[in-house]
Amino acid sequence: MRGAGPAAPSVGRVAAGPHPGAAEGRPERPAAVGTAHVVLEAVGKTFRRAGRRTVAISGVSLRVAAGELVCLLGPSGCGKSTLLRIVAGALECDEGSVLVGGQAVAGPAPDRGMLFQSPMLFPWLTTRKNVLFGPKAQRAAGADERDDPELDAETEAILATVGLAGFSDAFPHELSGGMQHRAAFARAMVTRPSLLLMDEPFGALDAITRVRMHEFLLRMWERYRITIIFVTHDIEEAVMLGDRVAVMGGRPPGIREVIDVPLHRPRQAADADTAGFLAVKRRIRAALTA
Amino acid sequence: MSGWRYAPLSATGVLEAPGQDRPEAEGRDGLAERAELLAHRQAGRRARIRRVATGAAGLAALLVLWQVGAVILRDQVALPSVSQTVAQFVHYLGRPYPAQGKPLWFDLYISLRRILIGFVVGVTTGVAVGAAMSGWRFARHLIDPVIEVIRPLPPLAFIPLFIVWLGIGELPKEVLIIVGVIPVMAVTTVAALDEVPEDLRLCARTLGATRRYTLLHVQIRAALPGILTGMRISMAGAWSSIVAVELLAATSGLGFMIMQAGDYLNTALVFAGIITIAGAGLVLDGCLRGLLILADPSRRR
Repeated sequence: MRGAGPAAPSVGRVAAGPHPGAAEGRPERPAAVGTAHVVLEAVGKTFRRAGRRTVAISGVSLRVAAGELVCLLGPSGCGKSTLLRIVAGALECDEGSVLVGGQAVAGPAPDRGMLFQSPMLFPWLTTRKNVLFGPKAQRAAGADERDDPELDAETEAILATVGLAGFSDAFPHELSGGMQHRAAFARAMVTRPSLLLMDEPFGALDAITRVRMHEFLLRMWERYRITIIFVTHDIEEAVMLGDRVAVMGGRPPGIREVIDVPLHRPRQAADADTAGFLAVKRRIRAALTA
Repeated sequence: MSGWRYAPLSATGVLEAPGQDRPEAEGRDGLAERAELLAHRQAGRRARIRRVATGAAGLAALLVLWQVGAVILRDQVALPSVSQTVAQFVHYLGRPYPAQGKPLWFDLYISLRRILIGFVVGVTTGVAVGAAMSGWRFARHLIDPVIEVIRPLPPLAFIPLFIVWLGIGELPKEVLIIVGVIPVMAVTTVAALDEVPEDLRLCARTLGATRRYTLLHVQIRAALPGILTGMRISMAGAWSSIVAVELLAATSGLGFMIMQAGDYLNTALVFAGIITIAGAGLVLDGCLRGLLILADPSRRR
């Protein structure tokens, strides 16, 4: 288990997550333990625009265990991105409660990293400086106590981990799509989040690069032992990545069904052709169309 | 004009070497990929040198055409030769022109001063107005129609008005430039700030940046290339305004000097004045373009 588990409030930002690169080898998966990292209770959100009310999500309850990878799956407009942004603290829910690590979410914070469909690298910064953005910003706020040599060493280590050691002085426009996403991952991880929120991060990549990114993400997940909530509209992606898949949809939008993915780990792209994989896909498709 | 240009996700193509995104690549030191990056940059530098050389050749061709035309015409008043123009330029650079009593460098200084004062005040005001419009819906709805009314007007239409209001000193010239610069800067600043994706702000916040830090180091920083592009557009407009007002209502400045030279049929000096304006404009634009390249690395190619 992690040092500062989610049962203990992970407010101390730097100390919260595991040390990047510290977890070598295959960790024990802390699934099925009682400590829920993320707890959503009857969460609802209604947007009011120009006098019109749109219910984005309603009555969503979900518990995500520490170290678990849960996919939120559904068609566009099913509220999955809204739900993710509520957990991130970018949106406030108007019903229910959201607890992360036992604490109510109030605004964005670096213990909840976020990755987007576009890598959102800062185009004026090199890869290295992009990675250093978080620590520098936190230092400006007096929250990161790591000194320069420590940060530099950690940046180098994390860039090597994501395979960008030779590109620390390259600008984002000089990187390929997959490399940009790996750089964004490194930037999110250097602030040591315990929870990673991913909003259709590989949706705009070509199919081949996407498969590579799935394998990359799974390896990183094993390595850093973080909790991941992964939003997608791709059934195969959800089954490939998730421990569980929360199927969303309906009127008003909410979670229809949470489906276990009983496939072995580590998974590889070739696993998508196995009978077990197809069975899970079939179940999810049935839940989506029910 | 956009300062915000994301490299497309799957089609950057720049470094999409086979195996680039293969998992095995993570553990390697990436020496081959690094060599490729450096080679790509060097190719960019070579392409830039070629581009500059081609541009210089175009300018040289223009000078040759001009000289040939002048030799064929043999009419110093209609079309002075390149050498005559250069001679006039050198002669009057430090010597006062008889009809006016000021040398060329002084007229250049006067015009530059008007431009820079007007430009600095106009850009500062315009960016502030644009930022207010971008951040505050009420300000946007209030100011937008005003700008839409003013923007299409040629600033020259205001000249008589400013002379009536402000006399014929330096102030009306500076105000004229300010009036031309503000709407352009407000519009480009609004566009540049609006173009910064909301998720970029959220991304910075999830990395631990405070609101203030995000505003300064992400939102404004991301809009900077767009704002600098607006400044280049404004600068071009400022030059046309200042020369026009100097032709009409001034007793100094390059525009006035050109008018005087024309009155005395000293066409070579007219040409010298025009080329001085072109040169000064080129230098100022070059400075802004340099800043733009500093602010936006994707333009370094």
